[in-house]
Amino acid sequence: MGKDIYILGIESSCDETAAAVVRNGREVLSNVISSQIDTHQKFGGVVPEIASRKHIENIMPVIDEALNKANVTLAQIDAIAVTYGPGLVGALLVGLSAAKALAWANKIPLIGVNHLEGHVFANFLNDQTLEPPFLALVVSGGHTALMKVLSYNSFELLGQTRDDAAGEAFDKIARVMGLPYPGGPEIEKLAKAGNPEAIDFPRAMLDEKFQFSFSGMKSAVINYLHKEEQGKRDVNKADVAASFQKAIVDVLVQKTVLALKATGLKEVVLAGGVSANNTLQNELAKAAEKVGARLVHPTPILCTDNAVMIACRGYYLHQAGVKSPLELNANPGLKLE
Amino acid sequence: MVTLAIDTSTKVCTVALVKGDEVIASYEANIGLTHSEALMVQIDQLFTESKTDFDQISKIAVSIGPGSFTGLRIGLATAEAMAYSWKCELCGVNTLKALAYNIQEENILLAPVLDAQKGNYYLALYTWQQGKLIEKQAVEVVSKEELFTKIASYGMKTILLGECDKLVDSLKAEISLASEDVRMPKATSVAQAANAGSTVSGKEVFGITPYYIRKSEAEELWEKKQQALQSEQ
Repeated sequence: MGKDIYILGIESSCDETAAAVVRNGREVLSNVISSQIDTHQKFGGVVPEIASRKHIENIMPVIDEALNKANVTLAQIDAIAVTYGPGLVGALLVGLSAAKALAWANKIPLIGVNHLEGHVFANFLNDQTLEPPFLALVVSGGHTALMKVLSYNSFELLGQTRDDAAGEAFDKIARVMGLPYPGGPEIEKLAKAGNPEAIDFPRAMLDEKFQFSFSGMKSAVINYLHKEEQGKRDVNKADVAASFQKAIVDVLVQKTVLALKATGLKEVVLAGGVSANNTLQNELAKAAEKVGARLVHPTPILCTDNAVMIACRGYYLHQAGVKSPLELNANPGLKLE
Repeated sequence: MVTLAIDTSTKVCTVALVKGDEVIASYEANIGLTHSEALMVQIDQLFTESKTDFDQISKIAVSIGPGSFTGLRIGLATAEAMAYSWKCELCGVNTLKALAYNIQEENILLAPVLDAQKGNYYLALYTWQQGKLIEKQAVEVVSKEELFTKIASYGMKTILLGECDKLVDSLKAEISLASEDVRMPKATSVAQAANAGSTVSGKEVFGITPYYIRKSEAEELWEKKQQALQSEQ
């Protein structure tokens, strides 16, 4: 074993300012997250300008705390990994600017990280035995995709959503039902008391095997709520939440099983904010087991946005000799490839 | 001891290294690149070409507003991270005050302005007296009409600086635009303003926030709604 490699990860793509130090890619030395959820709650969602203002206040204290908690100095850091997209452009630019200046001022490499790849890599921190190749189901507020992770630095996108992301549908339905932001966890909470078979919402199974579509399902739920309201009937919100959640989970699970069968892969990882959903975790674990595969998912703290996963992704890019130039810009619409 | 100065408050990206009264190197570019793409490359060039070492830097001066919110944050995040790395002093400088350092002439009212959107301007007024900058009026958000009324009330020969292109049609006698070479922000002026002490200094480099003046639109709307709700009750 050679010299230990320390990566400082920085993440500011949405409403969490985060920094972390990871040793040799897999060992978490610190994980600092400053969440803005309380700030945005009264607006019913993330306000980009307010998010950026919080990031600039928090970025250096969060980085300082991450180094202190890890008990390392900047001089010991081998490279700085930072999210450069996708996300809110103004928010991304705060973390990116700080990361560039830190890397340059300390004469160490800067490594731009795709936030979505970061979410997939969060699984390496949970399961030390996990190694590519495996299948990844990425489900967040902005993305729903199935991806083959062939090796640490080579991926193959199998399919993604044509319209809404699964997380987006969760948030939208939560808002229509008058639940507070962030909506996903609220739906899940409400669903616990409901009957998932109460209402049969449509599940779009597109011809293209690994593509998703959630806009039809979303509209069906909204139409249902409107119709019941117009008919002055009492809506059982718990039943709506449970049935809607079931419909989304069914689609995600079925497509993932199809992909497992088609690729012959024996491991599947969950990634992105929606991976914190317990029903999804349980259903997917059961379905994967039936086809002889194993599910790996992040612990709750690593499901949400964090910098540990960015540092981990950065480590494997660093090992491959990847460096980003000083002119690296934020890319709010960065995709999985 | 050398000061590194940064101004990204407008579309101009400008950086400088200044030692006392001597400008070691300065750079300003208005080439349509985003600050995110241009700033670090410029700073890197500045150090390389002037053969300046990091340990010569004792102070970082950065424009903290008013100005483009995103631009201000890019400049401040960059300056903070460097000050943190080098354990040097960090100074936040008022963008309009720094602009007044572009024209160091007496008996003239200096009126630096920046676009505050929706037909409004950030305006402050200054004069130079015996080598000292005097603030006649602190930063305010004003409409075009208010801007000219304020200036007229001083009855002085006036020079407009900053983002004043759109005011060119409304110019009156006694009011002129600064010539182009001194109209927009200059990092050398930011360094001068910082060295003259007219700054906000950071507590352990963390204490500085941009001088936005205006709240975010979402907050303004939210407050209006709360007021409306209260007056209904």
